[in-house]
This record gives sequence, structure tokens and C-alpha cells, in this order.
Amino acid sequence: MTPNKLPQLAPTVFITALFAAACANPKRIDEGVLTVMRNGDRIEAPTRAVDAATTQSLESQIAGRERRDSLNAVAFGNCAPTVCASLGRGEIALGMTEAQVLAATRSTDIAWTARRSGGVAVLSPRDAEAGPRDAAGPVALVQLAGGTVASVTYREPQGLRTVSNASDANDANRTRAVALVKEGDALAAAGDFTAALDRYDRASVVNRADAELQYKMAASLDKLLRPIEAELRYRMFLNQLEIQKIDAQSNANAKLADAIARARERIIVLEKK
Amino acid sequence: MTLRHLFPARARLAAGALLLLSAGACFSKRVTRIEPTAVTDLSGRWNDTDSRLVANQLVEQTLAAGWAKRYTDQHGGEAPTVIVGTFANRTMEHIQVGTFVKDIERALITTGAARVVASSSERGELRDERKDQQQYSRADTRARPGQELGARYALTGELQAIEDVDGRERVVFYQVDASLVDLETNTKVWVGQHKIKKYVERARFGL
Repeated sequence: MTPNKLPQLAPTVFITALFAAACANPKRIDEGVLTVMRNGDRIEAPTRAVDAATTQSLESQIAGRERRDSLNAVAFGNCAPTVCASLGRGEIALGMTEAQVLAATRSTDIAWTARRSGGVAVLSPRDAEAGPRDAAGPVALVQLAGGTVASVTYREPQGLRTVSNASDANDANRTRAVALVKEGDALAAAGDFTAALDRYDRASVVNRADAELQYKMAASLDKLLRPIEAELRYRMFLNQLEIQKIDAQSNANAKLADAIARARERIIVLEKK
Repeated sequence: MTLRHLFPARARLAAGALLLLSAGACFSKRVTRIEPTAVTDLSGRWNDTDSRLVANQLVEQTLAAGWAKRYTDQHGGEAPTVIVGTFANRTMEHIQVGTFVKDIERALITTGAARVVASSSERGELRDERKDQQQYSRADTRARPGQELGARYALTGELQAIEDVDGRERVVFYQVDASLVDLETNTKVWVGQHKIKKYVERARFGL
């Protein structure tokens, strides 16, 4: 074929291409569509499932309440006045029996797994996330020695907190404050002074007389370029230290010597600004 | 003899009126009450049938999942508390998600599997009423403030659609996902799903 014949063949080529394009339809996938519903059919409500669920929930609620009632009867039957008061408040107290622990947490034995060896038993929630809780918070572990509670461990936002003597139980907020300060230190070390200041602020509500906390807040405010508040906090830090006492107990507070010097230095600098 | 002579004017007028009346009757509106459980697909878009299918499936799935029983068993017979959150409509259609969400809510309440607390949109009005009672109601009939139940789980979900159209044919696929999230730990304790696929074919000729 000579090149000069090509223009004459152009219509033929065009028509052939058109036919080819028409044949090349998108591939139809026909797997024999199964019709599952037509106009006029009926959709019945899931009565059977609802009835079964109603029966099941009623049964499990009745069984649970009956078990709880019998546990309460045992728990309140022979409790010392302090333990009875804790039961009434829904708090686990040291010295409680296993039945009293279940009554205080408004749970039954289904909610716990128990490991027993000798005179020691350890109760831990079967479901860690939606496990039993008392008035203080979600319980992570209860240790019983000789049939009575020796220690209780709570799951808290800052980690676990164990109560193994009476003073621990009263110090729940102080423990949380210490954890908040630790968290604040970590944030300050990472350079997030706004978040660190927030943790120190929350901790200072409990630890109002903590001079070191005041210094940390002052330093964070200083880093955040808030000089007026920083200066105030530095002054509060120095006031809380009670300098005269420091002189008397210089050795005990030697670790704060650097902080004192730094605070005084910063007050001078900030005053000049 | 002409038509005018055969039919007097009055008769012609009556015949004309009758003709108009019968023509009008052909286009009159017809309303029929039908069973709410009947399947009626007219346009191929989301309709009451889809809503009921989704509600039935999600109700069955959530009741069979066992999360409520587990909670009840572990909490001395106390049913879990649920709040109904948002069901997002991520389709291009206007879909009333409230119809099947209310069906799920009703199933949870009637079975006693869970206690359902008022949603955030309902709470405002209730709190106003309670506040009002503190001032105007008799002391022994006042609803006390600060006694609301905090929900343990939130029911949320979304509705998505995929559409494929070619000429007279259209395929629409709807997927409804629902999940129950533990409000304290953000753990999903149950996930339900229902899928609907519709094939719509328009007649070659017709209005």
C-alpha cells in the first residue's frame, strides 16, 4: 500500500473503529440476580428476638439481684460498726470479708476471678474495663489474708493506687496530686509548659503548702512569657519556704538552695522588666 | 334534520358536563391505607422498608450480642445504661435516621436489656422543667436535681451509600453501621451492620 492511498482508506478505517468501539461495551456481569424482596411482601417485626431477650434479661436481673440480696444479708449480718458504715457508703474497707467486698462493690462472684493459696486470696475483676467499682473508684485488685481484706488496689487515671493501711485510704487525693506533679514534670521536660502548668495547677489544689510546686509553676509561667504571674509565684515560693526555718534546717533543705538562688535572681530580672 | 334540532341546548349542556366529569374522574386522587409492614418501593430511594429492615436487623444483632447480659451478670443484676448518640447520614439523600434509631431504643427499653437515658437534645427541656419545679411545684412532688443516671455506653452510627448508574439501570448500596462505645474507656463493646442493595430499572417507554 502506497502512502498516497491512505487518505482514501480513512472513512473505512473510521467506520471499522466505530464498530470496534461499539462492540467493546463495558463487560456486563450477570450472575442471575437473586431478588430477596418484592413489592407487596411483608416485613415482620423481630418479635421472637425481642421476646427471647426480654426473658433472658429478666432472668439474669432477677438472678443477680437475688444473689446480691443474699450476699448483703451475709455481709451486714456480722459486720463491725466501721465496716458496716463503709458498706453503707459502698466503700471497700480494710478488714472486710469476701462477702462484704462483693456487697460494697454491688457485685456478685461472677464479676471476679479468685486465686487462692493457703490463707491468701486475690480477687481481680473478670472484665478489667467494666469491672466492679466501689465509691472510691474502679477496683483493680483486692488481696485477702486470713479471710479479710489486707489491701485494695484502685485503677486511677494516673495509674494504680494501693491502699494497705488506714492512712493510705485517707491519702487518695495526695497520691493523685503526686502523680499529677510527676506528669507535669514529664510534660515540662518535653517542652509542653501549658500542659505542665495545668497539671501543677490541679496538684496545687491539694498540695497548697508545697513550695517546690510553687517554684515549678513559676518556672513554667516564666517559660510561657507570663512575667507578672511568674513573679508572683516566685514570691509565693520564697514566702512558703520560711527562710528562717531554712537557715535552721539548712541541711534538710539543701536541695532547694539552687531553686532559692534562681528564684531571687529571676525576681530581680522580672522587676527590672 | 341537524344535530341542533335533534338535541336541545339543555341536553347538550348536560352531556358536556357529564363528559367533563368523567374525564376528571380519570385523574382523581386515590388514597388507600395499607399495612405498615408492606414492602412498597416506588422510586428506588431510601424508604420506610429500608428503615424497618435496618431496625429489625440491628435490634436482633444488639439483643443477641450478649453485652447487656455480661454487664448485668457482673453488676449484680443491674442493667447497663445507654445513651443514644448521633447517627450520621453520609449519603447524598435526605434520610430520616431517627426512625430506625428510635426502633432500637424501643427494643432496648421493652426488653429491659438496658436502661436508656435521654439524649443530649432531649435533656435541655427536661432540665428546664426540673428547674421550674424547684420554684413552682409543691415541695413533696419536686423532682430532685442531681439525680440523673450517667450513661455507661453510647450508641452511635453512620449510614453510607454507593450508587452505580448506567442508562436506565441503577444500583444503590446502603450500609448502616452502629456501635456501642464504653464512655469511660472508648472501647467498642458491640458493632452492628446491615447492608441493603437495590437494583432499579426504568421502563424503556413510559412517563
